[in-house]
Amino acid sequence: MLADWLIEAALYEGFPAQKTSIPGVSQRTGATTYYVEIFPEKGARPPVMALVPSPGGIDLMAASELVEAGRAMQNAFITPERTTLVASTHRVYATSEKMLPTDGRYDAEKILEAAPKVAQKAVLFDMSRMARGAGTVINAVLFGAMAGSGALPLSREACEQAIRGAGKGAEASLRGFAAGHAHAAGEKAPAAAPPPAVPPATASERVRREFPIPLHTLLDEAVARLADYQDAAYAALYLDRVRGVLAVDREAGGEPGGWPLTREAARLLALWMSYEDVIRVADLKTRASRFDRVRKEAAAKDGQIVVVTDYLKPSANEIADILPPAWAERLRRKAGPGRAVKLPTSAVSGFLAMRLLATLKPLRRRSARFREEQALIERWLGAIKRLGFAALDAGLALEIAQCARLVRGYGETQRRSREAFVRILDELVENEQAVARGAEALALAIRRAREAALVYEECQPAPAARAKPVIWMKQG
Amino acid sequence: MERSFKAEVAKLRLGAGQTFNGEGILAVTKALLQSGVSYVGGYQGAPVSHLMDVLADARELLDELGVHFESCANEAGAAAMLGASINYPLRGAATWKSVVGTNVASDALSNLASAGVVGGTLIVIGEDYGEGASIIQERSHAFAQKSQVWLLDPRPNLPSIVRMVEKGFELSEASNTPVMLELRIRACHVHGSFETRDNVAPRHSRRNPVQKPVFSLERIPLPPHNYTQEKHKIAVRLPEALKFIRREQLNELFAGELRQVGIVLQGGMYNTTIRALQQLGLADAYGASRVPLYVLNVTYPLLPEEITRFCTGKRAVLVVEEGQPAHLEEAINAILRRADINDPHVVGKDVLPVAGEYTGEVVLKGVGDFLRLVMPDGVDLKHVDAVLDGVEQAKKRAAELLGMPVPTRPPGFCVGCPERPVFSALKLIERELGGIHISSDIGCHTFSTLPPFNLGNTVLGYGLSLAAASAVGPNFGKRVVTVMGDGGFWHQGLVTGVANAVFRNDDGVLIIMQNGYTSATGTQNIASSPDLRPEEGNPIAIENTLRGLGVKWLERVNNYEVASVADALRRAMTAPEKGLKVIIADGECMLERTRRERPIAAQKLAAGERVVRTRFGIDDDVCTGDRACIRLSGCPSLTIKDSPDPLRTEPVTTVDSGCVGCGLCGEAAHAAGLCPSFHRIEVIQNPSGWDRSCTDTTRVIGMGVRMRAHPGVTMVRGWWRRMTCPGPIHHPGGGIRAAKAAACSPTGS
Repeated sequence: MLADWLIEAALYEGFPAQKTSIPGVSQRTGATTYYVEIFPEKGARPPVMALVPSPGGIDLMAASELVEAGRAMQNAFITPERTTLVASTHRVYATSEKMLPTDGRYDAEKILEAAPKVAQKAVLFDMSRMARGAGTVINAVLFGAMAGSGALPLSREACEQAIRGAGKGAEASLRGFAAGHAHAAGEKAPAAAPPPAVPPATASERVRREFPIPLHTLLDEAVARLADYQDAAYAALYLDRVRGVLAVDREAGGEPGGWPLTREAARLLALWMSYEDVIRVADLKTRASRFDRVRKEAAAKDGQIVVVTDYLKPSANEIADILPPAWAERLRRKAGPGRAVKLPTSAVSGFLAMRLLATLKPLRRRSARFREEQALIERWLGAIKRLGFAALDAGLALEIAQCARLVRGYGETQRRSREAFVRILDELVENEQAVARGAEALALAIRRAREAALVYEECQPAPAARAKPVIWMKQG
Repeated sequence: MERSFKAEVAKLRLGAGQTFNGEGILAVTKALLQSGVSYVGGYQGAPVSHLMDVLADARELLDELGVHFESCANEAGAAAMLGASINYPLRGAATWKSVVGTNVASDALSNLASAGVVGGTLIVIGEDYGEGASIIQERSHAFAQKSQVWLLDPRPNLPSIVRMVEKGFELSEASNTPVMLELRIRACHVHGSFETRDNVAPRHSRRNPVQKPVFSLERIPLPPHNYTQEKHKIAVRLPEALKFIRREQLNELFAGELRQVGIVLQGGMYNTTIRALQQLGLADAYGASRVPLYVLNVTYPLLPEEITRFCTGKRAVLVVEEGQPAHLEEAINAILRRADINDPHVVGKDVLPVAGEYTGEVVLKGVGDFLRLVMPDGVDLKHVDAVLDGVEQAKKRAAELLGMPVPTRPPGFCVGCPERPVFSALKLIERELGGIHISSDIGCHTFSTLPPFNLGNTVLGYGLSLAAASAVGPNFGKRVVTVMGDGGFWHQGLVTGVANAVFRNDDGVLIIMQNGYTSATGTQNIASSPDLRPEEGNPIAIENTLRGLGVKWLERVNNYEVASVADALRRAMTAPEKGLKVIIADGECMLERTRRERPIAAQKLAAGERVVRTRFGIDDDVCTGDRACIRLSGCPSLTIKDSPDPLRTEPVTTVDSGCVGCGLCGEAAHAAGLCPSFHRIEVIQNPSGWDRSCTDTTRVIGMGVRMRAHPGVTMVRGWWRRMTCPGPIHHPGGGIRAAKAAACSPTGS
């Protein structure tokens, strides 16, 4: 559509113009690239126009997504002598970036930093958001930004005529065009509302008294979460636990770095202590704020009704998790696959069923999983403290702390990564021989094993370490 | 197919002296009508699908002219259709994607070329080479050479292309030989203009049929006529063709002052070469080049005397020829030596790459290196160096600044695609039964070979997957799974695959993806397309066809129900009975379905009727970001975003606004026992009173909140807490804030 507008605008000006495209498969998936040439001389006899872009010969590169701009840089389609780059800064992630259980996103900062260095001029902003604001498609904003950048030999009138000529949705497109044009031409956009001022952290009394200031926001958040998750006593237990880690951090000189060990351990501990059992899930899914969020996400208008149906499959194991240990044992022994339920949470019946489950919260303390989690947490914290103190090495302690990233998720995925976590404890952290090799070697081994556990078969190319984390076997 | 091509059809009606504005492939379509074709056929595929799509929509115009149009069963069918021109003076055209389509067509093509034609026949081949093509990379040139079919490769501008279509028919008739017109993908999609002529009603057509059959044994490839046919090609048809090409000046010579050098190039490479010369300061915007050019709009056969005349007296000649082997370069060398002209150094695949597409950068560098090598008088080599170094520097600098290559964006299944869930199920079955050998086919489903599925061990051709599994099966320790689309089934798979497998009692599993169209080529109709109108054809059901062939084990599944697809696969893999087990995986192409349903929904909405819009969502606070869902489905709508939770540093998974509500993510979460984050969101627009009364969430929540405050409930809650909580409770009730304060009080522990 953008290429059609360009051609129409060029014809309006009386300039010879040509476009070609390479559609992705049947113009749907993959990246579709367009190449347009405009010969900015009125009524010129037909020039010879190329069908493929040539490096060093591009006046304007437009990218409707940031990594596409990076790709154009790689191909030398953006050169400092000639090219104006107009790109949206939002990201549409590639599958390879999305499927990692960690954060596999390409570092987009690199492209933002490179842009002004490789291009003659770079116009970069989030066009996706602007398009949403104007109720139109990203191409309209992009077209506006291209025109506003001054790199197009086309008048604004010609561009707007081209949009009008395309008919359908022209009004919305013109709005988007105008917004993009203004931004690229450097006109001050009406000052966007400043981000809501963050209220100064009102750290609760105990946090203020016992913990250094850089940790207050984090700990406050965690305390609120755990009090909500279980009760006040549970939140207090959390702070006790963090204090133990802080002691290691203090001994190992973590203060100048802003307490990296305590920060990471406290964060992971809060997530771990608020592990997602069926009670928690039922609670989260029946909050008024959740229904508001869903409405907003689905862009439901006033007067429209939103029906929410939850896809749940509580397995026997997950039910056993919330039972007292003895009962859980019995249920787990004959565990089969769970039963798939599509629960109409927004209907009265579904809502009440979920609420009922959520009210079991107080019983959680007596559940099998609660005990197991607390025991494993203590084991993990014990290792952090023991090895951290012994080696006075916050780096090693941090490696151990970060292993708690493996304790998360649901079902099979959770089981697998939890096994890996326990294996790291068994074979490295609590293995005398492994420990005897020194803090540095141990830290490296732990990191390798942790990373190996986070790599899945599908995430190709797999790092060499995938199959074989460094493991010292216990002897005799 | 639901898309309409009305605007394009209108362009086909333009008359003498009017200006056509549009795509290259549509210009070819118009040129066919201007040439008075009696019939057109072909098989869809990028980049020539558009020709067929538009003609399929131009029934009225074709009826007026009496032109017969059909979309053929496959390319072999399309080539065989051209047999109408062997005995009768009917002009005909066929089109397909090359080189894959030419492979399929080659049996009929050989016979057609051998017999020769009396009516002009033109084969429009869309050359899908480089540029992200999803087919094997070979040249069509060799087919033209081995069958003695003339090959046109026009300069990629509309007037040139149209002229070559028209001249192509004349050439075909003058030499009694079929002619191929080769168009690269960008030439098909180039937007330009040309002056039209009136359409010409064919001499013989449905309106004025041929009355008497022509019998001529010389046209039959039996001895001795197959021998005389070959000799006739060389003795008569080739000289006639050369005479015509020379007389009509189909190849073009552009003089230039730098006479020491010259460039011989394929017509299709003209614009790219001119751009390279411009960048090197050797040509102007209108194509006036200082280097002489000899442009081959006909790349087979070559005119030896034109080649020798162009090369004589030059120090070096550059051949710009895309693809390998270097047929042109070798032929030019041979022509020169045979004429005993030994001076000009013929340069080609030594400065240009032997293999791979000739992009702007490649040609620029090749022409530059040619000049640096030959150093002709009057060329500013410093400028050449500066241009080439500039490109090199820009690349190097970008690589340095970016640090690592940006992620690639390979094509994949669309949002809501009905084929994706089948591969989710297949993946689950692999987890259960261990690795499976999967024989893949051509079609959208070939994307299953890419992450996150990585399913599919071989691809051997369109509709050939079952045949490709025939020798793996007996030599493999487990049943082999074959995937075939309904497009591939009708193209080739029915006979080559299924019939033979049933006949031999093969013990494999075949999944037929029944999405209703040849979706990868632009959702054209096939024999089993849903809702065919009578004029589009007689529908044939795949299921009946299979039963008729004698397939006994046959199941039909709804693709979106991942668990039941997995169950069916498990049954097929473990069934005790031998013989072919077929699963028809049923799910209409989402692209077509949305095209049909969206306007209806919009209409209803405008009329104030009840319309339900469905999409899926993920609860941010329930998702722990393990990405198991993405690895199991790979839906483009399933993506990631920064976690709104300050305690989580890694992104959470989210469903973006592109979701069409197919339900795969939820079903996959069910089937694989993933997380409980997924939910279906139905937005009821123009809700009825009944909707309001049953699903008013705010009332339910309000009720819950009111109940909490009820004195009786508070009492019970207090008791419940005392019973279940250890330790003293300092602030019973009062919500989060009070609880937080309690946690932070010194006695809180």
